[in-house]
Amino acid sequence: MIAALRSGAMGGRLSGLLLVALPVALLIWLVLWPVLQAMVGTVYFPGTGFSIASYTYFFTDAYSLRNLWLTLWVTALTSVLRVVVAMPIALYLRFRTGSIAALVQALALFPMFVPSVLVAYAFIRVLGPNGIVDTVLVALHLPKLMSPYLTPAGPIIGLVWDGLPLTLLLLLSGLGRVSIASVDAARDLGAGSWTLFTRIILPRIQSSIIVTLAFNVLGLFSAFTLPFLLGPASPEMMGPYMQRTFSDNADPLNATTQAVITFAFCAAFGLIYVRAIAKGRKGTA
Amino acid sequence: MAQVRLTGIAKAFGKVTALDAMDLVIDDGELVCLLGPSGSGKSTLLRVIGGFETPSEGTIAIDGVDVTHLPPERRPTAMVFQSHALWSHMTVHGNIAFGLKLRRLPRTEIRERVEKVLDLVGLAGYGARLPSQLSGGQQQRVALARSLVIEPKILLLDEPFASLDQHLRERLRDEVRDIQQRLGITAVFVTHGQDEALAISDRIVVLADGRMQQVGRPGEIYAEPKTAFVAGFIGAMNMLDGTLAEGEVVAGGLRLAAEGAGPARLAIRPEDIALTEPEDGRTVTVRRMIDFGSHVVIDSALADGTHLRIQTDKTIRVEAGERVGIHVEQWTVFRDGEAPSRYRSDTVRPFREVRRYA
Repeated sequence: MIAALRSGAMGGRLSGLLLVALPVALLIWLVLWPVLQAMVGTVYFPGTGFSIASYTYFFTDAYSLRNLWLTLWVTALTSVLRVVVAMPIALYLRFRTGSIAALVQALALFPMFVPSVLVAYAFIRVLGPNGIVDTVLVALHLPKLMSPYLTPAGPIIGLVWDGLPLTLLLLLSGLGRVSIASVDAARDLGAGSWTLFTRIILPRIQSSIIVTLAFNVLGLFSAFTLPFLLGPASPEMMGPYMQRTFSDNADPLNATTQAVITFAFCAAFGLIYVRAIAKGRKGTA
Repeated sequence: MAQVRLTGIAKAFGKVTALDAMDLVIDDGELVCLLGPSGSGKSTLLRVIGGFETPSEGTIAIDGVDVTHLPPERRPTAMVFQSHALWSHMTVHGNIAFGLKLRRLPRTEIRERVEKVLDLVGLAGYGARLPSQLSGGQQQRVALARSLVIEPKILLLDEPFASLDQHLRERLRDEVRDIQQRLGITAVFVTHGQDEALAISDRIVVLADGRMQQVGRPGEIYAEPKTAFVAGFIGAMNMLDGTLAEGEVVAGGLRLAAEGAGPARLAIRPEDIALTEPEDGRTVTVRRMIDFGSHVVIDSALADGTHLRIQTDKTIRVEAGERVGIHVEQWTVFRDGEAPSRYRSDTVRPFREVRRYA
């Protein structure tokens, strides 16, 4: 009997290992190995030995630092804007039901089904020079507005719209942990909307907000399509910068160095994400 | 004084009517139970009183003040929720003090009131704990304390003990009744447990399909149900479909005296059926005997196979398949659109010598 139980447990453990084996192998092959290769390839050169010259160049080159700073700035601002825009929608969808809520949800999730290239060209047609907004303003004999196209505001607007669905879904999942009864209980004791949000809802979804921000940062830091099509030529975000260094400048060493630096930033945010998940699990346990 | 007056309250969710034309007055210091099956509208009615739902029609007045369109935070009510609804990121003290902080009371007063109410619910010294460090019963006491500390005129309890085990539920309901009487607070208690309602309330409001079926004292509801639904819902009841004719109601092979003509429902409480010797008239066949310790319930079958539940003395023993006589001491006849007719037999007949345990 005990032997049969033991063999059953062994079988379960083996099938569990087999289930994780394939994704782990793919992770090693497609992610960890290229990362290791890139890291080693930027500091070790056969014949000449170790050198951190490409990193020294990046961190002393004013243009590279401006690009890194722009990327950090756009990433931070876009992440915050996504949460700020998605939060009221998520709160509405969590605590309201009915046909209007369903319509709001459908509209908010719609960008998920639109490719980034289409978003970029739609943006240009609407907000670009001589776009729909300009045309309407001219028709109303009003002065034209300065277009955000090819300015840092361009990719920010595009990226906020593009990433809204994922942000919304992550926040909604966090808000699912806030029961309606706990909100009703606070209202019953006299809490207004702001008090409810800051003292009851926000503390309960802290880890979800951190996860949402971390997810956003990971995607935004290495974003390419929208910054490439809507952003300024100089300074530029790390995604287009890496691509240009690699193909236009035919400089794989510096492009790889930029990729390793980008990876390091993303890994730092990944660590924050993992810690937030662990904290959230501890909170629910 | 804290009186609640509901006048013509109705609530519809789309095409579904959750509450229909309800009139009710709950007097000062009274504990009223809203009792009904799932979907009867009892929680909706409580939420309407608390301000969480706005009625589609009718008015609610508390102490003569119309509060129909006031939000929960502006009503002199406080609700205890079924799921405790404690805020897990706050300590017990933080949970209870929340309402007092919103009222901007001095810190010393908040501390004193929190300690006093913790003492009242038997949780003195638990202020620094987190809700996750408490048992289910303790969490529900904290929820009760959180509602009581703001000194509401009306305490609303929405199936507060539904998630607790039977023993704890019985203990807590006695404690709640005790606290409610000590404070003299008006309370409205929602439950689907008839035992709970009978044990705790001054009056019971029985609801079904969004309508009030009957309002009355627990004993009155039990002894004199006004509708067949109330008769079947409160306590155990044998409900038999039958026909009235020639001064009798005939149902499931039983013939009992009753006035009127046409289809009717015969209601007999299991404890209103006495056992007699088989040759003494009506007989049933014993299907099963259930010994509850304090009493015995016999599941039996009438001549046409209709089940009849009989509650009798704990010392009586019968065997499955045995035929025993029955004598119905009280019965009620329900007819559509008419008041129920109640009948009582004056004859008392002895049963055989009881069979005791060896």
